[in-house]
Amino acid sequence: MLRTTIAQGPAPTVFLAGEMDLDCADTLRDAVAEAARGAQTVVLDFAGVEFIDSSGTGIFVRLCLDMKSQGTPLLARNLSPAVRGVFEMLRVPELVGEDVFPG
Amino acid sequence: MGDAAADSLVSLQVYRYRHGDDEVRPVIGEIEPGLRQGDLVAHAHEALTSGTFTCYAVSQPDDFVADELCFVPQGEHCDILSIRTNGWQRHHGDHRRSLVEILNNLAAAVACGKLRILDAEEIVAEAAAGEQVLHFDIRDSAELTAAREAVDDVLREAGIDDKTRKRTTLCISEAVTNMLLHGGGHGGMTLRRLQDRLRVVVADRGPGLNFLNWIEPPKAKGQASMGYGFKIILDYLDAVGLATGPSGTTLLLDRKTDN
Repeated sequence: MLRTTIAQGPAPTVFLAGEMDLDCADTLRDAVAEAARGAQTVVLDFAGVEFIDSSGTGIFVRLCLDMKSQGTPLLARNLSPAVRGVFEMLRVPELVGEDVFPG
Repeated sequence: MGDAAADSLVSLQVYRYRHGDDEVRPVIGEIEPGLRQGDLVAHAHEALTSGTFTCYAVSQPDDFVADELCFVPQGEHCDILSIRTNGWQRHHGDHRRSLVEILNNLAAAVACGKLRILDAEEIVAEAAAGEQVLHFDIRDSAELTAAREAVDDVLREAGIDDKTRKRTTLCISEAVTNMLLHGGGHGGMTLRRLQDRLRVVVADRGPGLNFLNWIEPPKAKGQASMGYGFKIILDYLDAVGLATGPSGTTLLLDRKTDN
């Protein structure tokens, strides 16, 4: 199960924790929608993500593309080696743009 | 898969020729009406006796049909993979994988011995091999998480390193997710211990793999399938077995324990 915590501010951040699999779409979308109100960008912090599979990755990619087209792009940070490994295998930076992963 | 395959944009059928037989028989799907038994037998026999993987591609640009026939020698028998792409075109800029790429990935995995296509008799024997360690009936994401974590504990006890464990549980997640989305919505995951490996058996009684499902998941889930699950499974596991038909799909996911 995915859990989210929102830290509001000039660059609102959604802290993700738990598992990102086929069930995480609504939780992730709701949290990002709330954080995005009036914001120019939303940061997703992956530090607490213990597991992600291709379903979770697909949901993240879809959301990244949707938010970019709505003018509130996402930034992703603190990816664990496991999450980074899945993203690289699935060519996520190529799909959503390298700029989603600053640093 | 008969009617469904005819309506699909892309489909995969698998046939088998045994040395000395005078016909090939279907293992997944049905023999395509346009294919002649005599031709299939002749090509399969040639591939088997020469021990050579052979692939024939037929492209008809006027109606965007492209077919591939791959003959894969497997010792005593030759597997024949028939890939049809009826009018399918890659969507540029789409993040989902090309179905043709997925099917070619499957064909390559069969050719190099990573993926074994199993018939009805073989899967019964293989899915019962060794001793049962765990079994879970799975209907949703929460039950999948519980199953994944239980397998992770067994892998840890077996001395499997951290990275390999993570990769293995990822593959289980991919296989079970596919079952939940396309295999009738529920099924079983069993962990078995064999002499040199741990084997996860993921089995459902769904309608069989329709390869079109991988790119058009149920809308209710509100997500796009990336079609990458099977690539992950084939890349990260030591060996994979697949049996699929109108009465269900079974996947064997093997992680060797002797190295």
